[in-house]
Amino acid sequence: MTQATTAPQVGLRGRRSPYVFEDWDARIFRVSREVFRSEEVFARERRVWDRVWLYLGHETEVPKPGDFKIRTLAGRPLIFSRDSTGQVRAYLNSCPHRGTILCRETEGNAKTYQCFYHAWTFANTGELVGIPDPGAYPPERGFAAQMGLRPLPRFENYRGFVFVSFALTGQSLREHLGDARDYIDLMADHAADGLEVIPGTHLYGIRGNWKLAVENAMDGYHFSPTHVTFVEYLKTTGYVTSDEGGRAITLQNGHSVLVFSGHGGRVGMQWEPRFGEAERLRVEENVRRLAARVGEERAAQVSHTSRILYVFPNLLLFDIEGLAARQLEPIAPGITDVRAWELGPAGESDAARALRIRILGSFIGPGGLATPDDVEAYECVQRGVVATAGDPRPEVDWSDISRGMEREARGEPARNVDEAGIRGFWRHWDDVVTGTSA
Amino acid sequence: MTGAVTRQQVEDFLFQEAALLDEWRLDEWLALFEAGATYEVPTTDRPNEDPSRSQYYVWDDYELLTARVRRLKSKHAHAENPHSRTRRLVTNVRVGELEDSSLPVRAAFLIYKIRDGNVDQFVGRYEHILTANGDGLRFRKRRAVLELEVLRPGGRLSFIL
Repeated sequence: MTQATTAPQVGLRGRRSPYVFEDWDARIFRVSREVFRSEEVFARERRVWDRVWLYLGHETEVPKPGDFKIRTLAGRPLIFSRDSTGQVRAYLNSCPHRGTILCRETEGNAKTYQCFYHAWTFANTGELVGIPDPGAYPPERGFAAQMGLRPLPRFENYRGFVFVSFALTGQSLREHLGDARDYIDLMADHAADGLEVIPGTHLYGIRGNWKLAVENAMDGYHFSPTHVTFVEYLKTTGYVTSDEGGRAITLQNGHSVLVFSGHGGRVGMQWEPRFGEAERLRVEENVRRLAARVGEERAAQVSHTSRILYVFPNLLLFDIEGLAARQLEPIAPGITDVRAWELGPAGESDAARALRIRILGSFIGPGGLATPDDVEAYECVQRGVVATAGDPRPEVDWSDISRGMEREARGEPARNVDEAGIRGFWRHWDDVVTGTSA
Repeated sequence: MTGAVTRQQVEDFLFQEAALLDEWRLDEWLALFEAGATYEVPTTDRPNEDPSRSQYYVWDDYELLTARVRRLKSKHAHAENPHSRTRRLVTNVRVGELEDSSLPVRAAFLIYKIRDGNVDQFVGRYEHILTANGDGLRFRKRRAVLELEVLRPGGRLSFIL
């Protein structure tokens, strides 16, 4: 690219990797479009996903002893379960004997898992408890003890959000999350008795690279043009959106957060006309109780700002009109599976729960009035970046992420309609994918 | 409409509806709903859960349905601008017992959605409640249930299912 002819300064002043170009003198940040197309980049990313903490699911997805769900993470089939003692677990969904998919139901409740192929049976606590004709294996050699279900190498739970790692060693989950924990806490603080996942999962595939979904979520700039029909709908209900006062906050380890105050009300916490009069009374009561529980100042923070938190690499937490967790599962450079769960305070009233479901659903998800236009954006970028592949002009095959650098250079806080959060993501991505950071 | 509703009358209604949607005549389509009617699409993993207790792909009351139509008519509904080509095959129609002006209707659908070089198929069943009053059939509840395990590929219900 043209800017590359003047060498950027190293360190904080700039970056010049095969994929990310950053020059604070010129106020330019660009990302090679190869990152969305390349099989080689995808393979490098897989190696990253094999060593970092990945979001698996929320503990309330398996509320009762014996509950299980199967889920594929980083391409590997897993069982996410709660054993008979009540402990939440994650196992490889692959029979230790010969590798057969062990659990073929998508979800259910089971004390044991039996492989249909040779009828080996495993307790939901992992032990191999049944082999037909066991005498063929010498009992004194401890064969059965070696052949229990394979748990994930690492497994940790932060306030109900369950993360796993395929690596035996590395940062603890708390270290990995770092300051992202504060934003998870703000979300968890909605509920006196904890958050729970609401049944019904949005499961959908997009024809776009997973990083486009990250960019989109950390991009307040697109909201007004992309979601103009949603903004117009809100206007008809008596609510006028505003981008004023929004912030983009870059956290360490690739995480970032967008903070909004004027994109819509928040069910249970901040009233908006379409929520109706009954909800107005519930909101007053909820905020009063919240203040009694966590203090006035924190209550204001929990209740009156909306946030989208990105936790590198595969989790987006939405604390907006409602609460949602969205998991990204890359399938190929141009294909991503998305799973999205809505959460709500455990024990909330039927009326509050129903309103929460309708309001969030009106905005996000494949059938919402906004998300389909985001999907159109991912897919149009994925189709569009093919145009510049291999272009003989070196400056052409780069996407621009420079918005707001001037403001940032002046030491002003980054706005959510700028691209600071996206830059933070790309810096960390570049470090881990090109191998300059763990 | 008085007396029994025949399957042929129901089929005529559903086939006409499919034609309106395939031709993107959305105002005429919305006129097939009685005021207060709903449109719903449950998730693929909880097809039988009540929408007040379960996340749905679509759970429109009449106001939101009206907003959905208004949005889809806008050139700023980017996901459907330009419109997808669609062709709906509606078949296996079964008509239940009319009770208090509510008529349960079941049917199978296969929808081809064509756009941007992709042909996406959406297969499922309709579990509608129609009303049969003096002026013909109308939707009281229009419910489309997908048989897909995952909404893939083509993960958007930007069109009417």
